[in-house]
Amino acid sequence: MPDKDNQNPSDEAQFTPEMNPPDRDIPAPEGEVVARKGLLRRFLDAPADNTVKTVVVALGLCLVASMVVSSAAVSLRPLQERNAALDKQVNILQVAGVYEDGIDVAEAFDAFEPHVLELASGEFTDQFEADSFDDRAAADDLTLSAPLEDDPASIGRQANYVTVYLLRNEDGTLDKVILPVYGYGLWSTLYGFMAIEEDGNTIYGLQFYEHAETPGLGAEVDNPRWKALWRDKKLRTDDGEGELAITVAKTPPAAGRDYYVDALSGATLTSRGVDNLVRFWMSERGFEPFLERVRAGEI
Amino acid sequence: MAQTYRSMLVDPMVDNNPITLQVLGICSALAVTSSMQVALVMTIAVTTVTAFSSMFISVLRSQIPSSIRIIVQMIIIASLVIVVDQVLKAYAYEISKTLSVFVGLIITNCIVMGRAEAFAMKNPPFASFVDGVGNGLGYGLILMLVGTIRELFGSGSLFGITIFETVNNGGWYVPNGLLLLPPSAFFVIGLLIWAFRTWKPEQVEEREYRIQTVEAH
Amino acid sequence: MGLRSFFDRIEPSFEKGGKYERYFPLYEMVESFLFTPKTVTTAAPHARSYIDMKRIMTYVVIATIPCILFGLYNVGLQTNMAIAEFGASGWRAAIIEGLGIGFDATNPLANMLHGLLYFLPIYIVTLVAGGFWEVVFATVRRHEVNEGFLVTSMLYTLILPASTPLWQVALGISFGVVIGKEVFGGTGKNFLNPALVGRAFLYFAYPAYMSGDTIWTPVDGFSGATALAVTAAEGPAALATYGITWMDSFVGTIQGSMGETSTIACLLGLAFLLLTRIANHRMVVGCLLGMIAFSTLLNWIGSDSNPAFATPWYWHLVMGGYAFGLVFMVTEPVSGSHTNLGRYIYGALIGFMVVMIRVVNPAFPEGMMLAILFGNVFAPLIDYFVVQANIRRRARRHA
Repeated sequence: MPDKDNQNPSDEAQFTPEMNPPDRDIPAPEGEVVARKGLLRRFLDAPADNTVKTVVVALGLCLVASMVVSSAAVSLRPLQERNAALDKQVNILQVAGVYEDGIDVAEAFDAFEPHVLELASGEFTDQFEADSFDDRAAADDLTLSAPLEDDPASIGRQANYVTVYLLRNEDGTLDKVILPVYGYGLWSTLYGFMAIEEDGNTIYGLQFYEHAETPGLGAEVDNPRWKALWRDKKLRTDDGEGELAITVAKTPPAAGRDYYVDALSGATLTSRGVDNLVRFWMSERGFEPFLERVRAGEI
Repeated sequence: MAQTYRSMLVDPMVDNNPITLQVLGICSALAVTSSMQVALVMTIAVTTVTAFSSMFISVLRSQIPSSIRIIVQMIIIASLVIVVDQVLKAYAYEISKTLSVFVGLIITNCIVMGRAEAFAMKNPPFASFVDGVGNGLGYGLILMLVGTIRELFGSGSLFGITIFETVNNGGWYVPNGLLLLPPSAFFVIGLLIWAFRTWKPEQVEEREYRIQTVEAH
Repeated sequence: MGLRSFFDRIEPSFEKGGKYERYFPLYEMVESFLFTPKTVTTAAPHARSYIDMKRIMTYVVIATIPCILFGLYNVGLQTNMAIAEFGASGWRAAIIEGLGIGFDATNPLANMLHGLLYFLPIYIVTLVAGGFWEVVFATVRRHEVNEGFLVTSMLYTLILPASTPLWQVALGISFGVVIGKEVFGGTGKNFLNPALVGRAFLYFAYPAYMSGDTIWTPVDGFSGATALAVTAAEGPAALATYGITWMDSFVGTIQGSMGETSTIACLLGLAFLLLTRIANHRMVVGCLLGMIAFSTLLNWIGSDSNPAFATPWYWHLVMGGYAFGLVFMVTEPVSGSHTNLGRYIYGALIGFMVVMIRVVNPAFPEGMMLAILFGNVFAPLIDYFVVQANIRRRARRHA
């Protein structure tokens, strides 16, 4: 109910309510014509604390507001979806090294073939539409994912299917494969893409597009100089037939510098997180079955 | 109405600044000032919301039942914020990703609500609009100042354009990582308030306590 | 006493109405440094005996002497050992070669001198930069330049790595003095320890220079983990594989900030401070008990994924800045609690927090600095509750 004491608390108040007549006493119309003409007029003139008026104002405002909000949301939705898709495409273009400022992203992205990959077999599947398959939703979907017992990348559940992207040369031979990778760093899950050359063993690049690591330390995973360290590193020894040897560490591993990316200085835990997630995703439980096929030239 | 439009627009810059004098809207000022570009977009968003919400509320002011006054104001403000958020997502996706929830949180920004209650409820629409613009810009002024300091010394750039080449990119400047962390905005805003109140001593609040002094013998 | 009469002669021109009235703080600083002051202190900490603030501060500086001396030796030792492996460069090496002393790590004197060449520049920069702000504020605010700064500057220097760039040293102490102390009204009104505020500023602003394995010994190419970094990553059992024994840690011949590696030197300082009653034993006891109790609890709980849980209390005592912080910073009278019961609680809170940060938080292997700052923030609240409890108890008794 209206509460007259609950008026504007500000001391600058110039707006004071009239003394309200009782709510129910809207004067009776004198004639039909006057009543019809004056309905709006009388409504506006009625005291603001009138119950009927309170309800009408509330309902009316809600109606108008919801219309404004929903029409904005609906009319802008296509643009927003295009932006989100574009954002992902730019990241894929960047990691594959084909992105330049001002290029037509959609056109450049047409060169990439998206495929939904079944991780365990390394085979592509037609079960899902590759353009609309949502990797993150799949990782949370109980039917499409499995919990991890041994979980070095700290991701909890791993999806059985992920979207990978192939980039082909003009003659149709494979140029690069772009693989989604993610895992926990210090503060956050790092999401990124790794580009591998056609030999299935040489890294072309690693790029994270979402993380919340410490600025100046862990966030240096975005530093172009550090990202450049990944170029031409090898995943496995013996041209891919040996052990998984790639590592992010402070000192080179026994396998040699080809398998070594210098850890970020001062960011031990982020570096270890990147090491863990790369080694996890490139292992037998990650993309190895698929990469084996890449090495065999089957793709 | 004693104030002129000019004073409505100019007063909130220094003399009655919502951040440095009234100390409102601090939380978003901490979150969005690590780079100038984000601070600028946030300024525009807040100014738009404050100006239009004040105007709409002022239009409706004699019709708003006092019992649901706050709710009505919130509905108007919230609708505007959602529209702004949607527009940003559609036309400035990168920035809206950086701003993330802070656009939505304009709803809770005390400046918007404060102007609606203190000004728009008892002044005509155009005056309310001007007042909203003034306060949004006053908020923005501080945001930009803080953003300049934080981005310049925290990343060595302004609007993403490198001013000082940082060590990690082969330059000489060692960026100050503290300035990239949100708490640093507390220090910067605190120092700004100190500077403002040294410049305009009438803004200094009265002490709430008395310092006991001991006479020397 | 020619000097005394000189001061007496020039004093009037610095007093109210005198020619150099504005510069009274400067005059006072020099005069009271040389002679016993004539006035009493108006702000906390209050000395309630013949001993005055200046003497307290002087005693604290004296208590740091073992740490300074050992720090000089250890910085030189570590540097000389690293030079044997990586070679020498820079102006310090040139001076040492010029003097014909050499980089023999087994020669204590050579080590001390090499350490001094790292310690002195940092200390001088600290004094100049911090002193500048002290004098500026003293002049503008018309208060005295407080001797507290002598302690602050020494502690600040001792908790920096020897490789800290000098401009960072200046920036850190400026932040510590201005934000940590002067904005709150100067010595006695600071609720945080200014030396730690300066150090924390550097830690967050330039983390690459303040943490990691390469910063403790200032030789290019050298990398050596601190005991804390090892336990945080691999647990206390791994310390042996890095060649760090408990005795090394206790004596202090390990990686770490300049003056904080040696637990025994800190304990000597503690003995001195306790004997002279400058340090309050309640804070020390509380901090020890808090640390021992919580680390023992964590040992008992255990953890499969976090090896640092197994760190025993006697390792916590000798690693990182615990001993140094315990002796010189927990006991600091202004920023700590002022009630006796509160001092126990305050100490225990810091002891608890340091283990918490070291063991549980993945980002910070060292927790002493943050734990003490945390304790500083809570000290007034602790005092408030202690005083309120006391008031209630009395009210009941007299009801």
